[in-house]
Amino acid sequence: MISPIIEVENLVKVYPGGTRAVDGISFTVEPGELLGFLGPNGAGKTTTIRILATLLAATSGTARVAGFDVTTQAADVRRRLGLAMQTPTLDAFATGRENIELIGRMHRVGRAELKRRTDELLELMGLTDVARKLAGTYSGGMRRRLDLACALVHRPRVLILDEPTEGLDPQSRIALWEELERISRDGTTMLLTTHYMEEADRLCNRVAIIDNGRIVVDGTPANLKAGIGADSVTLQLEASGSEDMARLHEEVRGLLAGFESLESVTPEPFGVRLAIRDAGRAIPELMRRLDRNGHDVHVIGLAVGRPSLDDVFVKYTGRRIRTEAADQPLILGW
Amino acid sequence: MIGDFFYEAWYLSLRTLRRFFRVPANWIGIIFFPLIQLFVFSQLFKDIIQLPGFRSSGSGSYLAYLAPGQIAFTAFFAVAWSGSAILVEYRNGYMDKLRATPIFRVSILVGELAPLFIESAIMAGGILLLSVLLGATIKTGLIGAALILVLSGLFGMAWAGTSFVPALLTKSEQATGTLSLVFFPIAFMSTAFVPPALMPGWLQTVNSWNPITFLIEAIRPLMVSGYDWAAIGKALIAIAVLGLVLQSATLWAFRRLTA
Repeated sequence: MISPIIEVENLVKVYPGGTRAVDGISFTVEPGELLGFLGPNGAGKTTTIRILATLLAATSGTARVAGFDVTTQAADVRRRLGLAMQTPTLDAFATGRENIELIGRMHRVGRAELKRRTDELLELMGLTDVARKLAGTYSGGMRRRLDLACALVHRPRVLILDEPTEGLDPQSRIALWEELERISRDGTTMLLTTHYMEEADRLCNRVAIIDNGRIVVDGTPANLKAGIGADSVTLQLEASGSEDMARLHEEVRGLLAGFESLESVTPEPFGVRLAIRDAGRAIPELMRRLDRNGHDVHVIGLAVGRPSLDDVFVKYTGRRIRTEAADQPLILGW
Repeated sequence: MIGDFFYEAWYLSLRTLRRFFRVPANWIGIIFFPLIQLFVFSQLFKDIIQLPGFRSSGSGSYLAYLAPGQIAFTAFFAVAWSGSAILVEYRNGYMDKLRATPIFRVSILVGELAPLFIESAIMAGGILLLSVLLGATIKTGLIGAALILVLSGLFGMAWAGTSFVPALLTKSEQATGTLSLVFFPIAFMSTAFVPPALMPGWLQTVNSWNPITFLIEAIRPLMVSGYDWAAIGKALIAIAVLGLVLQSATLWAFRRLTA
């Protein structure tokens, strides 16, 4: 039996001042898995990750990485862990190569292996040409890749990434996704946090939706979406004004009464949004019902949407994920 | 175990030195003020050397009298804001990156402090060289010059605590250069500009406890007369006491910050 590589049980973190950032989180990650923490800023993702990376002490609960306890066996955990935080942290006055080599040395990678591994990572991350330039001159995407190279230099068994594509342009984001997919295929277990739906959907074997310091649901992206059940069908209707539209909403409700595939009708300013099971098969019947004689419901646009992780998130948390830039806590000295 | 510590501290120190020397503004900023003082004061107060109190110092010119004090000023400027680098890396997460590797936590601090010996010594060497170019001498030659650099380096490393302690305690960049500035009153009261014979009695008493005076009075004979081992010994003790007090406080503040 293969034991999980990350085991977290009933983890709680209460910050001085009383904020319960992590409020009883439990989960396991199997070797080779890629688990995504999906949640809005302030949900407790980063706090959980910092506890796993031995950077922060938990208030209660236990966490084990590769079989070692993060509090009592921190050094053993650190040897097996690669970490890249939300903003790339690099030595701006060191070159790309020097950045990787320093972290490698701190992990006691041997001289010959360090040279080989550094060359390999620079090549892999497309940084060979700029390896001798100061990291302070790198673009955002290059910094991310160099940061990732630093996290991989000692061939960690577990890679923890906090918002790995935050602040990247779409092209760099897709390039980084491909890189992460390749690292995952090579057998490295990964835990990443994100508040981008498509990122979680595309990369992760398993997604845990985390909100207010708790995991509200977890499963494969496909299962989570299947749990939503219905597809969403949006109908745009022709109306002469908002009162007319309100009348049309009622007409549609009447016309669709008894339609067995229908789960709900939501009025919208432009028409209606319907939740319909197996929309592909049900649409002909839907159109027949709306086209009944003696009514003036004119459909001028129709869109069918498969459930997305967005819908999953809304279902379990009751709201949409915020997509604005990460809120940074204000640090005040005196 | 101890080998691990030295390995880590060595590579982290190399990184700190690289960071220092790759930015020319660093060393220009350090040399600038002592050089101005050396150049302008040696002209402005040229004739002050005629006063009887100066004779016992053995300096042939006011420039020669002024140079040891300006070397001490240079060692100070080399470390006056030295606590800010560790603070920046605490803030931007680089310290976390290092802490997530299997190293001794204290290696991070030593990797910042130990290089200050080299930085202060080299910067003091720059001013020593410039003062020789302006007309000062080093009676004890290269060995004496090396001793001057070692004394300056040690003093710099010890004094750095005045920047690290407020930096680590307040986590504020503005604080890093506040406590270290007490160097100015202490240095102006020292024998950097005027020999004790010309000072009022209370100031002479102060100077029998002034670490900067001990440093300057150890450097001066090396430049103008010969080895004064008693003075060198006193300077080393003064620096050791200063270093022990300030760096214990630094270590305490560092542990508090990274707990």
